[in-house]
Amino acid sequence: MEALTGILMASLFHAATLFLLTAGLQLTFGVMRVVNLACGTLFALGAYAGVSAVHWALSRGVPVELFPLVLLLAGIMVGLIGIPLERLLRTAYKRPEAFQLLLTFALVLILQDGLRLIWGADPQQTPNVATALGSVTVFGTVVASYTLIVIGLAIAIAVGLGGFLERTQAGKILRATAENREASAAMGVNVPRTYMLVFTIGTMLSTAGGALIVPTSAASLQMGVELVVEAFAVVVIGGLGSMKGAAFAAVLVCLIRSVALSTFPEMEILAIYIVVVAVLMARPSGLFGKRYA
Amino acid sequence: MKDAVHSVGRRRSIRTLGGLALAATAVSHAAPAFAQNRPLRIGIIAPRTGMLGFAGECGFRAVEWGVARLNAQGGIGGRKVELVTEEETSPKDTIDRFRKLVLQEKVDCVQGLISSGVSLALAPAAEQSRVLTLMWDGTTQDGVKEMLPNPAYVFRAVDNEIGVVMATLLTLKHYKGKFLRIAGVNPDYTYGRNAWTTFQAILKKYNVPNTVVSEQWLKAGATDLSSNVATLKAAAPDLVFSSLIFSDLPVFMRQSHNAGLTQSARFVLPDGGWQQLALKKEFTPEGLVLGHGSMYFESPNASALQKTFVKDYVDRYKEVPHFEGDRAYFCLQLYKAGVERALKAGGKWPNSSEIAAAIPGLPVETFGGMGTMRPDHIPDMTMFGGLTTHRNAYDFVTLSTVETMSTRDIQKPPGADFWQWLDSARFPV
Repeated sequence: MEALTGILMASLFHAATLFLLTAGLQLTFGVMRVVNLACGTLFALGAYAGVSAVHWALSRGVPVELFPLVLLLAGIMVGLIGIPLERLLRTAYKRPEAFQLLLTFALVLILQDGLRLIWGADPQQTPNVATALGSVTVFGTVVASYTLIVIGLAIAIAVGLGGFLERTQAGKILRATAENREASAAMGVNVPRTYMLVFTIGTMLSTAGGALIVPTSAASLQMGVELVVEAFAVVVIGGLGSMKGAAFAAVLVCLIRSVALSTFPEMEILAIYIVVVAVLMARPSGLFGKRYA
Repeated sequence: MKDAVHSVGRRRSIRTLGGLALAATAVSHAAPAFAQNRPLRIGIIAPRTGMLGFAGECGFRAVEWGVARLNAQGGIGGRKVELVTEEETSPKDTIDRFRKLVLQEKVDCVQGLISSGVSLALAPAAEQSRVLTLMWDGTTQDGVKEMLPNPAYVFRAVDNEIGVVMATLLTLKHYKGKFLRIAGVNPDYTYGRNAWTTFQAILKKYNVPNTVVSEQWLKAGATDLSSNVATLKAAAPDLVFSSLIFSDLPVFMRQSHNAGLTQSARFVLPDGGWQQLALKKEFTPEGLVLGHGSMYFESPNASALQKTFVKDYVDRYKEVPHFEGDRAYFCLQLYKAGVERALKAGGKWPNSSEIAAAIPGLPVETFGGMGTMRPDHIPDMTMFGGLTTHRNAYDFVTLSTVETMSTRDIQKPPGADFWQWLDSARFPV
């Protein structure tokens, strides 16, 4: 039971950060129909910002209990980079999808070089914030409090995002724009501003995910590329554009990975893609996705 | 069809031009250099960015330090030394840069190369170009199989697996009888696979009872290992062997510590010294077997040369060097010794073949001690390792007792099959 709880908590922690990354990807595609290949690099940007924020907070004597908040704020603030990036993407909205993909891939390269320029090529770590926050016992297993905080924050963000999309005027406008851009514009919706809002929120979700994971990991130039592969598996399983799908599939992918690691480690990645292939064959639009003509 | 004919014609022309260029290079390197008054140009190819950037940077710094000293003492054979640097990236691009160094920059020798994948691909091109090429850390092995058995111009680094052999012998020395359940967390490429197999093979050779409770293969540079560590903890190993060497190693140690694994299991990191600065005390336990390759910066028996280098390095870069600096300096000194021996023997400036022939067997002082190049162009050096301690003035772990082994005892002899040798070798246990 103890071992199972440990594996489950680790899976949920990984799923929490993976969800934030894919939620950004889903939101951007759901409303704008843009597949943002740069989401992984934005995740890395958040991680680097998190490292700098922790060092800043330490130098200012910020209590360690506030560090998760500091990291979240750092991730959200650096996510404002979404505003100029969306401005750049506007040039591609009316062009073929391949052009959009190329443009977001160009963003990957530009952002990676930017990260290298600012933080250097060496991976960056924070002091051990995760253990400084102490631990709690869950079903007989000692779990770092930071793990639970991140899982809690991800759930709160998921619920908040759901509430925002379902219950607010702005959320309704976003959904309407996602359904029919032209009709929304005819009804007076400022579509360019909506797109900017969506892309910036999507970016903030990715950067917040990166900032939150860094105390247990390290910020490195490759981390985005590595995660984006898993993120696309989540998107395919959950359904492109579906937030519920992202949440469900992120947990599923992380559980599959953990089970594979425990039983057949050689199948860690293969196991995920067997599920991806199965979903693509049985339900090409994903478990929660809409069928596109 | 017409396009195809033109295309073939153009390819032929390029091939002819390439052949001429290669021949011209071969002639220029086979014949004695005429312009002996010009500085010696050493081309350096090493990574300064990406996953291996931390290693390449240390090598570059050591070479710059060595060249400054050489030039202050009159250079090599009376000629000053100039460095021409290029980045090591993918095999294809690196080969192109190697050719640029040879054909355009007209370097006298090429040194550097860290990635096994790159060096393995580049070695035949270097051999074909007849340019003396001394590798810092690159090999010409595909796994443990030698792909360039009798090179004339290429000199490679020690076998990748010697760090593992030494760390395993240290594990037996310090931990034999104290573990039963073992786990391996290794990079998912040839080195990681061989490292884990080598570790298990030596345990078997010495009849050390053990049960493998977990085997994990990580992508190079992976940074989220929470699921891996949770699975590892669930397996409850007594001993964890990990040949991770990139940014994944400190992440793995940190997450292991956070999961309480460093309190319940012993760790063996055969080449972890590469990441010494990142192995912070706050998450790296004492008593861990840590390999430091061919140099340990705080060796109690360090030579005056090493002490000067480490002091200058720390003064300038505010951090301590790792063993890549030693490998780079070793190559520079080998080249110097080879040129000067050939010069003395021939009385005129030697060509690449003469220098290459002069290098094997020459004793060369490097930071980690004396080193030599074997006739098969694989070096013999001293390797360092030991158990970690927190009793130091740094924020990272150092060694409590520094143990050394000669590669003469822990590296396969020329021409031997690695696995057969491993089975029959008599190690200094």
